[in-house]
Formats: sequence, C-alpha cells, structure tokens
Amino acid sequence: MTEKIPGPSWPSEAFEPYETMRPIPLGVLMIAVALALWGGVLLFDNSEAVAIGQAERAEVLADQPVRSDADGATLFAARCATCHQPNGSGVSGAIPPLAGSPFLAGRPEVPIAILLRGIDGPIRVGNAVYDGHMPSFASVLSDEEIARLVSHVRERFAARPEPVAPVIVARLRSELAGRPAWRGGQELAGRMAPELVPQPSPALTGSSKADPATMRLVTEGRNGSWACASCHGALGQGSETVPRIAGLPAAYIARQLDSYVSGSRRNESMAVVARSLTRQERVALGDYYALLRAPSTAHPSLGGDIDRGRKLVLEGDWDRDIPACVSCHGPSAFGVAPGFPGLAAQHPAYTASQLTAWISGERDNARQKLMNGIARSLDDADRRAVADYLATLPPVPAAATKGEGR
Amino acid sequence: MIEDDRLRAEAHDSPRQEAAGRGVRRGVVALGGGAALFVLASAAFDLGWLSDRGEPAEQGAAQQAMQPFLPPEGHTIPEGPAGDAIKRGEAIFMNTRINANDFVGNDLSCSNCHLDGGRRADSAPMWAAWVSYPAYRKKNKQINTMEDRIKGCFTYSMNAQNSPTGGPPPAGHDVYKDLQTYMHWLATGAPTGTKMVGAGYPELDKPDGGYDPARGKPVYDAKCAACHGADGQGQRDLNGRLVFPPLWGPDSYNWGAGMARVNTAAGFIKANMPLGQGNSLTDQQAWDAAAFIDSQERPRDPRQKGSIADNAKANHGGDSYYGKVVGGRLLGAGAR
Amino acid sequence: MNRILPLGAIALGILAFATLMLVIAPAIQIKRMAPTPGLEDYSAQELRGREQYVAQGCVYCHSQQPRSSDQAPDAERGWGRASVASDYVYDRPHQLGTMRTGPDLFNVGTRLPSRDWHLTHLYQPRAIFAWSIMPGYPYLFERKSRAEPGDVVVSLPEEHRPANGVVVAKPAALDLVAYLRGLDHSYPAPTRAVRDDGYSERGEPR
Repeated sequence: MTEKIPGPSWPSEAFEPYETMRPIPLGVLMIAVALALWGGVLLFDNSEAVAIGQAERAEVLADQPVRSDADGATLFAARCATCHQPNGSGVSGAIPPLAGSPFLAGRPEVPIAILLRGIDGPIRVGNAVYDGHMPSFASVLSDEEIARLVSHVRERFAARPEPVAPVIVARLRSELAGRPAWRGGQELAGRMAPELVPQPSPALTGSSKADPATMRLVTEGRNGSWACASCHGALGQGSETVPRIAGLPAAYIARQLDSYVSGSRRNESMAVVARSLTRQERVALGDYYALLRAPSTAHPSLGGDIDRGRKLVLEGDWDRDIPACVSCHGPSAFGVAPGFPGLAAQHPAYTASQLTAWISGERDNARQKLMNGIARSLDDADRRAVADYLATLPPVPAAATKGEGR
Repeated sequence: MIEDDRLRAEAHDSPRQEAAGRGVRRGVVALGGGAALFVLASAAFDLGWLSDRGEPAEQGAAQQAMQPFLPPEGHTIPEGPAGDAIKRGEAIFMNTRINANDFVGNDLSCSNCHLDGGRRADSAPMWAAWVSYPAYRKKNKQINTMEDRIKGCFTYSMNAQNSPTGGPPPAGHDVYKDLQTYMHWLATGAPTGTKMVGAGYPELDKPDGGYDPARGKPVYDAKCAACHGADGQGQRDLNGRLVFPPLWGPDSYNWGAGMARVNTAAGFIKANMPLGQGNSLTDQQAWDAAAFIDSQERPRDPRQKGSIADNAKANHGGDSYYGKVVGGRLLGAGAR
Repeated sequence: MNRILPLGAIALGILAFATLMLVIAPAIQIKRMAPTPGLEDYSAQELRGREQYVAQGCVYCHSQQPRSSDQAPDAERGWGRASVASDYVYDRPHQLGTMRTGPDLFNVGTRLPSRDWHLTHLYQPRAIFAWSIMPGYPYLFERKSRAEPGDVVVSLPEEHRPANGVVVAKPAALDLVAYLRGLDHSYPAPTRAVRDDGYSERGEPR
C-alpha cells in the first residue's frame, strides 16, 4: 500500500504494480442514494400503517357497527329500523309497530326487559297479534346504549321524554341474567306490565330438550365421534371457525351433516362425526339445535370495514353482481327455513372461511351453486367486511316449530 | 512521458489530494442526483405512471357509450326537505307494502322487479324510466305522465284492487310525489331524448320452438323453486316477513301487469334470475320458465268489465295466457 | 491484512450496534410489559403440558404467532388476530416457532376446544385427516383390555380401534391437551401494543 513516487529518471526495477482507484460509476452512486432515501421514507411511511393498525384495533375493540357513544337515534337506525321500520310503523302481520305501542308508554323497564331477553311467542300490540320473534340484544348492546335507545324510542313513539338511567338497565340485566326469551306477551305482560293483559297464550312450541339418546350425542358423544357440545359449546354458540349452530334451520343442519358424508362439503372432523350418525340422528340433532337460543358470542375480529360490510349485507354490490345477503337470508339475516341459514351473530372467522370454501370448492353444496358465484365476486377485504358486520348483529331467535318447513 | 508526470505532479496537488477533491465533488453529485432521482420516481409513482393502480387506459368512445348509466349512490342523498322526500320515496320503493300499505293489494315491492332499488340496468331501471316519460302508451292509448305510469304499477303489479282503499293512490298523492322525487334523483345527470343503454328489460327473440309451460316446469323446479317455493308462493322468514316474492296466486301481480306477459317476464328472467346469476339461463329456458309462471292463475285483471274473452280481445294480444285454456282451466278468472 | 485493528473495531461496532438495536432495545421495550387484559397464566397442568409441547418438538412444525391480515389470511383461517408482544408474557421461553408445516396453534383452544378431539388426533392424526403428515404419539397412550374408573378412553373411528380393548390417555397426553385447549388468545388486543401492523392500508388492495 506504500505509495510509489515516480523516480527522477527511469522507473524503478523494483516496480510494484498497483491499480489506480476505479471510481464507482456516478449512476450507481445515485441509485444507491435514491434507494437509501426510499428505505428511509418507507420506514417513515410504515408508521402510518402502524397508526392505521392501531385505529383498526380501537374500532374492533369498540365492537359495534355504530360507535358506542352513538345517540339513541343512530342506535335506532342501526339496530331497530330494519324490522320496526324507520318510522316505527312495524310490518303488518309480522313486526309490531313501535309508534303508539302501549309497551313503550308504560314503565321504561318494559322495553328494557324486551331488549334484554327478546321475545319468543305471540304478543298483542293494540288489536293485532304478532307471532313474535325478537332477538335478545343483551349480548350486543351495553347498559348505556340500551338506556339511550329506550330513551329515544319512548320519547319518539310514546311521548315520554324523561331519560332512562343506565342503572335501571344494569339492575334489570342482573335480575334477568341467564333467562331465556319471554314466551310471548303473556309472560312479559304478566311479569312487567299487568295493564297489558290479556295477551295471547304461547303456542305449543317444541322444547329444546331432545330425547335422551340425542342429548347423549350432544353432551357425551360416543366411541368414534366426539360430543357436539365439546366443540360447538353447550349452547351451540361455537367459536372462531367452529360455527354457531343454535337457531339454524333444522333441515339445513341435517343437510349439512349429509353433505359431510357425501363430500360436497369438506371438513374432515365433521365427516368423522357425520359418518357415525344415522339419518334419524342427523335429523334429531337438527331439530335440537334449531330450537336452541344462545346469546351472541361473536365479535368483529378480522379488521374488516364495518360500513362496507353493512352495505354488502343490506344492499349488495350490483356493480359486481353481488346481491344483498339479506335478499335471501332474510331482512334480519335470521335465515329462511329450510334452505337459507341464519347469518346473524355468526363468528367472523367461520363466515370468512366458508366464503373462501365456496371459491375453493371445499364447499359445494349450495342449491344451484348460488353461493359459489357470489363468493367469487367478493375480494378478501369484502369477505372480512361482511363477516365482521354479521358478527355485530343480534343472534337468531329460536325458530318456533311453526316456522320450520314453511 | 516521465517529464509530463513530473510536471503534472508539480503543477497540481498530489494525486491523493486530487482524488479526495474529486471524491467530494462526486459525492455531492451522487447525493444530488440520487435525491433528484428519488423525487422523480416518487412523483412518477404518485402520478400513477409506475403504479398498477393508475387509471385504466382510455376506453374507446363506442365502448364507453355501451356502458349503462351510473346513478348516484345512496350516501349522496342531500339533506333537507328534498332529501327527505327522496328517502321517503326510496322507502316506498324498497318496502312498498309497508310504506304505501293503503294502495298495495299483494306482498310485492317495486324493488322485487326493479332490482337494486331501481338502479340495475336491464331490470327496468328508474333512471331510464324517468327520462322516458311523458310518453304515449299503447296499453291505455294515451299520453302517460310519470304519475300515470306509477299509477299503472299500483293498479296491476301491486294489485291495488285488493288493497285497503281498493285502488291506486289518487291523483297528486304524496306517494307519487315521493316516488318521483326518488326517481328524479336516481336520474341525476341522465340524458333525455335518447334511448338509454340498459333501459327496460331486454327484448329476447322468440325461440324457434316457441315457448311451452310444460318445458318450463323442470326449469322452474331446478332454477326458481329453491327461493320462490315449489308452489310459487315465495318464502318468509320466521317473523313472517316476505323474503322471496310470490310469483302467482292471490298475493302476486294481477293479470294486467306487464310481468304477466310472457315476453316481458322472459326478458326479466334472462337478465336477472336466478338472483346474482343473471344471463345464466338460455333464451329458451327463460321463455319456458316465463311461460310456466305466467300460465298460472293470478288476481283478476281490473280492466275486465264483461267476460274474460272480451277482455282478452281488448287488452291481451301477444304473449299472454289470459283467456287461454291451460291444463283444462280457463285462465283469467282470478286467484283467490 | 495490515489494518486488522480498524477492521476488527468496525466489525465489532456493527455487531454491538445490531445487538443494541435488535436485542437490548426490544428487551427494554417489552420487559415491563403487563399481560394483555384477558390473558390468564397457565395452570399447573397446562405447564406440565407445555413441557410436553417442548419435549415432543411441536415447535418445529407449529408456530404460535398469527399474522395480520395484510400479510397472511390467518384470521380467516381461524388462527386468530395478529398476536401482540404482551400475549406472551407467561411464555418462558416463548414457543413462537418459525415453521408452519402444520397450522398455527396460538388459538387452537378457541377453534378446537374438544378434549376428545385432541386425544384422537394426537393418538392417530390420520384417523381424522387421511392426508395428515403429523406424526402420531401413541406412546402418550396405553392400550388396556378395559377402561378402569378415572380412565379417559380415546374415541376412535372403527378402522383405527384396537381389535380388542381400549386406548386410554396417559397423564402426559392429558396434560398436553390441557395446554393446547388453554391456547386461547381470542380476547381483544390492546390498542397500543407492540405488534406487526402490516403494510397496506385497510381496505386495500381493491
């Protein structure tokens, strides 16, 4: 490395060859600088993604399709208007009106109790009798939200402007915890609003207690297959990719079990179970779970865009030939027996996994392949949006035997 | 040569110093050039030259003309009284039985046949209807305003004769105002005086073999019954709300409705049914399914004054089963 | 090589810097981290099961780190939300794993809560998944002519049942299953948490 200074007259005989520095081409240097700058900017840019991720998690934490600090009117529009209509008129013959309803005009405890437990049975509002199937909102609305909602509804539809305190909701919630839905107007009015008696007596609906052999399958299983409840939970509520099956149409459940055996729906674990069941047992299990009512345990968990999900579920996206989910699965996504399952309160991971399974062909048991094309039209973000929105809906009420097979 | 080197060595800085000076200059140029390159590249990216997210290439004008009109989206409804009327109109359109109960005699809604809230091209979209009226209609042989046209929908498709008031909304009723405000808003920016792409239902050429209800039944069972029911009476959810509309029988459209004509129904079916699988049936299947559906009994034609035969002659030319005998039954008496 | 000192110094410096940034700084960052609300410590049985998990080498094929939806569809697979650092406070050492020969197990207790399913699957994975390449663990089970009181009999499809007698789970199998069923991180992640937040903005790509 010692430098050779050329001698005065002739080159030294002890000449050591050396290379002059070959400079790095200027262009390469420029590119290197540009790449370094790019890397720096990318680092900085990533902080935006982090911020978005945090906002996303905050939203998921809030867990609601509307912000949890939304006012009563917003809650009404998001939670009640699909059935009771934006003007509270209800649907004649199906959904009782809120406008002028005596159930709102009395003590605030009455509507709170209805929201907390839901209704499964006939109810008389005014002179009309409705075959009531209202979901319980206990698992999807907080005490404050129910208080704001009831305050709004009573002020708007019953001219009772005095606000309802969340403590009343909290008290009722603890009193009514674990109770099933009101068995129609008779039980409700008898307990909460004696002035609204007489009410129609509940129709004879099937009991959610099946025969002992079926119950053994549900809770214990048998050699060769596992108990239903060991994965789907004691109430059929499911978790993650294990679907909520409480309240699905009985015929639908039995048909799925058939599909696992035939292979038109691929799921190895369920195939093991379904193969061990006789046709009668499949039907009996369907009947049992169709009548089961379980609170929602689903939460948006895929980071989907709830607003986009709501649009797809309620309106569809016809630019891409996607009909609204509710146009077949019912206006409240409670399903239409026997062919169309309820989607409300389903676990997002399960909903998304099924939408993917329609595409991959792992599931191919839809009538007329109705779901295959729709699933293909949804992209990844849409699947997550739809699945997350559906998880915010109140759970499917137990289908009375009457609704079955219609 | 050697002399030169020495001269250079004397005249300039030492080679090392010279190299250092060159290095600084090169460094400055590299930094500046690199920064410029980066700025240029990111500008190019932002402007979409390098990105695949950029605007698609210009489409040919002819192709552009074939694209159906794009109505405004729901969230663009303005605030204020006009917006409220649009929303009321939309509510009537989507849930007609609920929001215009006095004038509806069946379980249908406007949106059952005009899909996507009257937005969908080839399902008789409202933006195309709005710019087509007033117009002369052969159906009643006079100039029809939009209100007249909507009145026809209530009279026939919504079977108003069976409604609580026994007829369509009276002239000037708010139902017309709200519906027209909604339609006018849907047609924001639509051209008048031209036939719009996607207007009405597509007109299907009649197949060589004609159409046949007997051939239509298996098509119906395979492609329609899952939703509309084997008995054609639609399906309801557990609350009793209608999810799939009835296609015949007392709760469907009456004999005077456009959908009761086989050619209209065939066009609708071809383009839109099964829901989400439009254009999946062959023309022949669409015609046959339409023939099967429209050869079932449904509410009577409100225009019928005398006999079915007289009314058939006056109002039912073309592809209608009204007044014809199918399966040993004279059609047109009215489903009860 | 006559400038070994500066070369060595620079090399060591780079190493020190990397250690600082990649080991020491993160350690400081996560050291005092509180467990995510909702996370529960392992029970004694689960800890024994965890030892089994380590001993059987599960980590060589199974990760325990679901990723964000921008990077992999883990949530849609039912593997759960992207994990955050504070989900691992009770894991010493953590079982993050790098291989996904098998599915991620961070939320296996949520999506497969059935004890009996796990016993069947551990005894003979191919009793459920004919295509499975997971090894069976028959030595965690024993064959008995008949079950004694307190024995947990493994439910097996007919073709995998022993000709006579029953297959009973040893305590090690029950511990391992208890650990697997306890792998439930389905509670929500805190908003501000150390986590991989992915690259793309929400909703993209369209």
